[in-house]
Amino acid sequence: MNEISIEVKNLRKEYQEEEAPTIALSDVSFTIKKGEFVSIMGPSGSGKSTLLHILSFLDRPTGGSYRFFGRGIDDMTDIELAHVRNKQMGFVFQSFNLLSRLTVYDNVEIPLLYSDIAPAEREAKVREAVHSVGLEEKLFIEAGKLSGGQKQRVAIARALVVNPDTIFADEPTGNLDSVSGAQVMDILEKLHDKGHTVILVTHETYTAEFADRIIRIKDGTVESDKAVEKVRRSKTEFFK
Amino acid sequence: MRSVLTMLGIVIGIASVIILMSIGQSAQDLIVGQVQGIGSNLIFVIPGGSNNGKFSSPASAQGIVITTLQQTDVDSLSREPSISAVLPEVRGQAEVVYGDNDVTETYQGENANFFAVRDFEMAQGYAFTQTDVESFNHVAVIGSDLATTLFGANIDPVGKMIRVKNTQFRVVGVLVKKGTGPLGVNQDDLVLVPLSVAQNQLLGITYFNDLTIEANSQYNIDFVQTRISSILQQNHGITDPNKDDFTIETQASILSILGTITSVLTLFLAAIASISLIVGGIGIMNIMLVSVTERTREIGLRKAVGATERDILQQFLIESIFLTLLGGIIGILFGLVVVSLVYVVATTFSSVGWVFAFPLSAVFLSLFVSTAAGLAFGIYPARQAARKNPIDALRYE
Repeated sequence: MNEISIEVKNLRKEYQEEEAPTIALSDVSFTIKKGEFVSIMGPSGSGKSTLLHILSFLDRPTGGSYRFFGRGIDDMTDIELAHVRNKQMGFVFQSFNLLSRLTVYDNVEIPLLYSDIAPAEREAKVREAVHSVGLEEKLFIEAGKLSGGQKQRVAIARALVVNPDTIFADEPTGNLDSVSGAQVMDILEKLHDKGHTVILVTHETYTAEFADRIIRIKDGTVESDKAVEKVRRSKTEFFK
Repeated sequence: MRSVLTMLGIVIGIASVIILMSIGQSAQDLIVGQVQGIGSNLIFVIPGGSNNGKFSSPASAQGIVITTLQQTDVDSLSREPSISAVLPEVRGQAEVVYGDNDVTETYQGENANFFAVRDFEMAQGYAFTQTDVESFNHVAVIGSDLATTLFGANIDPVGKMIRVKNTQFRVVGVLVKKGTGPLGVNQDDLVLVPLSVAQNQLLGITYFNDLTIEANSQYNIDFVQTRISSILQQNHGITDPNKDDFTIETQASILSILGTITSVLTLFLAAIASISLIVGGIGIMNIMLVSVTERTREIGLRKAVGATERDILQQFLIESIFLTLLGGIIGILFGLVVVSLVYVVATTFSSVGWVFAFPLSAVFLSLFVSTAAGLAFGIYPARQAARKNPIDALRYE
């Protein structure tokens, strides 16, 4: 449980623009242990999404160092980053990013298409992942025909299907009503309970407080990094 | 629907190539069959040189009147042991009239042995004899189509008088239907009259338009050809073979020339048809570029969950090749339907003796070209897709 999964030191991200470089992140340092549930909070434009993109290997920093389970991002090729994303990371997006014309099954199967898992094993994994979010009866329904909450649960199943170490959730309740939002947070909490590391980016305090720890980002730097006092209320109460 | 419409370019392109190559092959088979039908032991002598054997038709074939083939040549050649028959021929075009019916047709002056050597049989009446030729008798043998045109179905042409170039001829025979001959001449529209009458009275000439020579089967055809050359060079006082004033064609040489012409023609037409393939390919590229743009978020998602640039490139290339290959297969089937229709129409409404041809080489070429078009026109859109930044792609609205 004490194994460090994410280690960030003096992380910096600049975007080169015509007049002067824009600094999105500056001197960001923290570590996240395996199995932790961490929320990254901050107002719009604070740099939290940029941080998430770097942590999830979708982007590279322009300075500092980032090690994921001991491997430095700078030492890895783009293909190696893609393999890590495929095998060790799961993604849940605010806008679901499902392929609406494909069925639930086909959507959940997508990450497995880029691994070397045999088709028969793929099917078992897809069914297990869909079962874990309670959508077995929707397995062969087109994703476009589902409600917002169901779509996000499908997206979580897609993130889970490869049994990743870390799940990155970017505003997962942002497009959901309170009941659906509560269901999604309940699922994320259960995944954390099962030992997955969950990194949640949100600007909502009540969502962030599901985590063990909240890292607040402001103007591209870490403003605070504190544990959350564990006073759990009912989920529906959070989303009222 | 959009993909189907885009595929249409490839379908039309491939179908055009298939149809043109098949029809070209059919035409080639038909012409070769007809040339082979004239017999391998026949040699044709045409007045005028052929540019030292290079690919060029003799002057006489280009409409220039050349008077070098004379009776002395026929007499000399007739004495040659390697030659079993010499058919001097003259021909012209004239109005052929019976009653109120008149048509403009080709008439040929022939000796009596023409019918045996060229294997022309009689459906009605008899072929004129050498006595008819020597006696300048005004008798004619006509083709079956001309008989129908002039006399209709109910009148027996034999014994009737027709007018050729204002000269009266008695029809003594009607030929068995023979179809189109080599070089597209309809042999069922011919008027055959004695050589003496045609040469002296209708045309007023002393030379011949060509000689058809039957080689003695005991001799090699190349040897006979050499002998003919020697005799004609001697008669015409030619010492330099490059300055021959005649051209000798055998079945093999005609086949070779016709084969070259039809192959070049087929390739030329296929090349024109392939332009539509290029247009179709550009259509595919266009639709793939639109598809890449529309599916930007999908590309972002796939990259986020582990797809490499190569995976995305492969995915879009496979889609592009699938589109063009499917278009190609539909084009091949469409081409087969059209080629079959052409065959049915040609054999039903024409006596040409059309040959059905659907060359497998054209099918394989089409499949190869379709795949290559998918690859060639899909690579750019696929690379565009593969190079997309996943973050920008995921944010794309």
